[in-house]
Amino acid sequence: MSTNTNDILVQGKHVTKSYHGNVVLEDIEFDIRRGEVHSLVGENGAGKSTLVKIITGVTPRNNGEVDFDGHELPIDFPRTFVEKLGIAVIFQELSLIPGLTVAQNIFLGREPKLGKTRLIDKKKMVTDAEAIIKKYNFPLDPKAEIDSLSIGKRQLVEILKALSMDSKLMIMDEPTASLNLKESKLLFDIIKNLREEGVSILYISHRMEEVFELSDRVTVLRDGQKVALLDREEISPERIISLMIGRDLSVSDYEESVLKTVSGDTILEVKKLCSEKKFSDISFSLNKGEILGISGLVGSGRTEIVRAIYGVDPITSGSVLFDGKEITPTVKQSISLGFGFVPEDRRQQGVFMQLPINKNICSTNFDRYTRMGFVNEKGEDAIAESGINMVSIKPKDPNYIVGNLSGGNQQKVVLAKWLVRDLSILIIDEPTAGIDVGAKDEIYSVINNLARKGVGVLLISSDLPELTRLSDRIIVLREGKMIKEFKDQSITEEEVLRASSGLI
Amino acid sequence: MIPKLFHKYKLLFILILMAAVLSIISPRFLTKENLSNVLWSISIVGIMVSGTIYSPITSGVDLSVGSLAALSGVLFAKFMITFGFGLIPSILLTIAIACTIGFIHGLIITRINVPPLIITMAAKTYLFGIAMLISKGEMIPIMEPSSFMAIGGGKILGFPIPIFIMVIFILLSHILLKKTAYGRKALAVGANPVTAELSGIDAMQIQTIAYILSAFTAAIAGLVLCSISQLAYALLGQGLELEVITAIVLGGTPLGGGGFGTVFGALIGTVMVGFIGNGLNLMNVPSSFHPIVTGLVIISALALNENLRMGSGTKLKKAKL
Amino acid sequence: MTQSMLRKIILLVLILAVMTFFTIMSPYFFTANNLFTLLQEASFLGIAAVGVTFVMIAGGLDLSIGSATALTAMVCINFLEYTNLPVLLFLPISLLAGAFVGTFNGFVINRFKLPDFIVTLSSKGVFSGLALVIAVKENGFVSNVFIDNPTYLWFAGKLGPLYYVTIAFVIIAIGGHFLLKWTKFGTYVYAVGANKNAAMLSGVDIKQIKYGVYILAGVAASITAIFQSSRMMTAMPEMGIGTELDIIAAIVIGGTAFRGGRGDIIGTVMGVLFLTIVKNGIFKLQITPAIQQIVIGGIIIAAVVFDEWYRNYSARKRNMVV
Repeated sequence: MSTNTNDILVQGKHVTKSYHGNVVLEDIEFDIRRGEVHSLVGENGAGKSTLVKIITGVTPRNNGEVDFDGHELPIDFPRTFVEKLGIAVIFQELSLIPGLTVAQNIFLGREPKLGKTRLIDKKKMVTDAEAIIKKYNFPLDPKAEIDSLSIGKRQLVEILKALSMDSKLMIMDEPTASLNLKESKLLFDIIKNLREEGVSILYISHRMEEVFELSDRVTVLRDGQKVALLDREEISPERIISLMIGRDLSVSDYEESVLKTVSGDTILEVKKLCSEKKFSDISFSLNKGEILGISGLVGSGRTEIVRAIYGVDPITSGSVLFDGKEITPTVKQSISLGFGFVPEDRRQQGVFMQLPINKNICSTNFDRYTRMGFVNEKGEDAIAESGINMVSIKPKDPNYIVGNLSGGNQQKVVLAKWLVRDLSILIIDEPTAGIDVGAKDEIYSVINNLARKGVGVLLISSDLPELTRLSDRIIVLREGKMIKEFKDQSITEEEVLRASSGLI
Repeated sequence: MIPKLFHKYKLLFILILMAAVLSIISPRFLTKENLSNVLWSISIVGIMVSGTIYSPITSGVDLSVGSLAALSGVLFAKFMITFGFGLIPSILLTIAIACTIGFIHGLIITRINVPPLIITMAAKTYLFGIAMLISKGEMIPIMEPSSFMAIGGGKILGFPIPIFIMVIFILLSHILLKKTAYGRKALAVGANPVTAELSGIDAMQIQTIAYILSAFTAAIAGLVLCSISQLAYALLGQGLELEVITAIVLGGTPLGGGGFGTVFGALIGTVMVGFIGNGLNLMNVPSSFHPIVTGLVIISALALNENLRMGSGTKLKKAKL
Repeated sequence: MTQSMLRKIILLVLILAVMTFFTIMSPYFFTANNLFTLLQEASFLGIAAVGVTFVMIAGGLDLSIGSATALTAMVCINFLEYTNLPVLLFLPISLLAGAFVGTFNGFVINRFKLPDFIVTLSSKGVFSGLALVIAVKENGFVSNVFIDNPTYLWFAGKLGPLYYVTIAFVIIAIGGHFLLKWTKFGTYVYAVGANKNAAMLSGVDIKQIKYGVYILAGVAASITAIFQSSRMMTAMPEMGIGTELDIIAAIVIGGTAFRGGRGDIIGTVMGVLFLTIVKNGIFKLQITPAIQQIVIGGIIIAAVVFDEWYRNYSARKRNMVV
């Protein structure tokens, strides 16, 4: 590519990273030029965030080198060092202090001093903040407390904080996830201005139209490897998507979708379901023995919909019918009707990390092993044992603390606690996120077996091969609305990805 | 094997070690009389521990139990002596009122989602005020009926009856924690309220019940205390909550849940508190040093117990789904 | 309107309302003499409260503050009585004792990662025990040392009708407000209390801030101790018992979040005034002091419930507008 090394701000050579023997980045070569918008795309788990973490010193790399502005970065360095170098990161999870003002947050840790004293020059801080806000034309008041701002405006403060650092490189990881259209537009203008000023931007997004609009170059990652580096003229959404998926998948190469007892009986029907600000007008039905895939980007409302159906979040309008009868979902009722719920955030919502396997499995089954409030320990042990055997959790020791299990085995524990019940519907959100390949296959066969037994499965996944492999039908969501339903068996990843990225 | 065993019964070993050291220092320590005295002195705290332990298990805390015990004593005396309600109705009414108060605290803490520490701290204040108001700040002597006085003054097998009451409550509490659905659910809620809720456990209900339980045992302790001291007084029982919480924490139940909790551990913690005081007395350490030693012992015990460190459990405050 | 602003307006209205109420109800309340005494009482409470406000904004809790007052007062008094060093040295010694107390709390919390609540609960026992040890004389009895040193007793005096302690409170409150709002330290106190992770990412040394706030609280306790022991002409181990609850109550009433990250000194000052007026007024009504306890308990609960309700309410409102 470029022969002039002065043009290059970041250069990575042979960058490799593995966690517990799982290679997540393999011998990656990449470079970011000065004053370019460089997009990093790939499916979930392709290694995008790991690469960012290596550049910003959050995780040390195992091998290879990263040069920044002509100097090699050490393997492991403190976060504050990154700022000194001139790298700013816009965090996805908000890192603001709610009790402080916009100006105080922007300059947190870098407050201007009043002369030679140790005091903060508040006036300067506010005028500086005002200047930056004006420069980028943000609708913000520097003296407003973060408490009083909407989520989108908070994200803007986050962006301003990064902008105020006068960095050479800005890393933006899904920056538009919580912005509305107007705010997004503002951000794109800023990105274009920054490029003019010579700032490099590493842009990560699932939304293809954004990548297409902004990027000078695109690096495509797949399964921890760099599969392509595209120049501006080579970029097209179709091209990127097919590179991300990496296979020509017009014909499914899986042998699933056989021998299912799809009886045709509808077990769950959702009509015009709405929830304030989260999703609206969602209608679909689920048959016995069917696996219904739900696809959509993060923030598309997919998790919120299943939580509402399960009874965790309130519904503002619409109806849910179970077996033809209308129900008002509550968690208790759902469980008694035979729902199972495997949440997205396994560690925070799926398991009790500090409790042993048996207590975890039995936590959904008090009705089955207690009488008059007293525990029948034999019954409890039997339930735990059957759960452990059903999904073959390793180790088999029922008293083993779940927090010490691998991610895959933890997920099996979550499955086990539902499988030991007579399920009619299983809701499963990102079943294999962060799980090694072997355990993935086991979890797939568990899901398929359930469907074969006539259980209706609602499957949410960002892992497209997984979604297309398992699902009989797929509905695609975007910004809280259903935009597409794929009914036939020959669903391709490409079609789904195009739909969720907004290309249809 | 041995280390594992040691780990499991660590607290018991420490207690035995304490007893061994104390018996070497003072030959008077291992006499039946002295041990009976120690147990008697901790019986009130022990009774309160048996119920109050459920608030830390479900990642809360209850600082109001000392004042509630005092208020219960005053209420009981008023009902029985001033209003002439009779023994059993007075006891039942007192317990019912105490449980209602616990229930209201539980509701405020869970439904409005305010920190239990500040609510029960405020409750400690206002309950004390109510007790003062009802008793007009005076001691109310209780001499009758003899059946009630026997609780505090009587002995069985040479041991004072309050010790047996403590043992019974500890056993009941142990059964509640280990053998019932409530105990299982309480540990689960303490470990992770969100997972618990998604598994169909009503976390708020479990937490509310914890405050009713602590109020219930506070009332019992207040009644026993009345019988022992033969009077009801608003100041009687003040500050007991600190001993109760110290005993629970020393016993290995962390504040803030985390899926841990042992009633026997808390009992051992209670006895430890008793041993420390007793040992210092036997060694003729001036009483002014007692709080220093107690404070330092607690801090070191906490520092040594990893379970009690922050961040071991999911915070209650994030429990909103 | 922000929550803290609304809170202050409500507090101001309440302060005026209770003052009017007590003025009508008791002829002894609204007299110059009583008002200056009231300010004196408020100042004893307030000086320590300014220190503890820092602790609570940083997400901590100091239950040892009352015992710290007793301990530093005992150190101070005994220094005056039993040494022949220059009298004015008691000032740095007292402040040092306060700083030491704070360092002890900070050390245990930082080193062993223990909850602030349980640590300061234990250290409360340690400090009050130490105070008692100092008080016990060779014969094994507690006998209070009386001080008649004029330099020391000066601290109990007045400037015109105003007690020096009130002036000190005003200065300390202004200084505290300045420290909290105008320095990096103050900003970081908010950051640590609100979002430890974000604070760390911005390069804030969390342990250092924790030490800082507890030392401030300890020093504030020692300043209270000087004025209070000077007024009583003695110090006793019991002098600070229970004040931690009043202090925390005043701070919470003033709008500092019990969970940290929010609050300010102005709120604390208003909370201190409100609490002191209520206590003083109830006393002047010559009804049983038990009412004080009930009212204070009730006010604390009302304050936290209001905060939580308002937070949910405004969050809901904000998200509807978007």
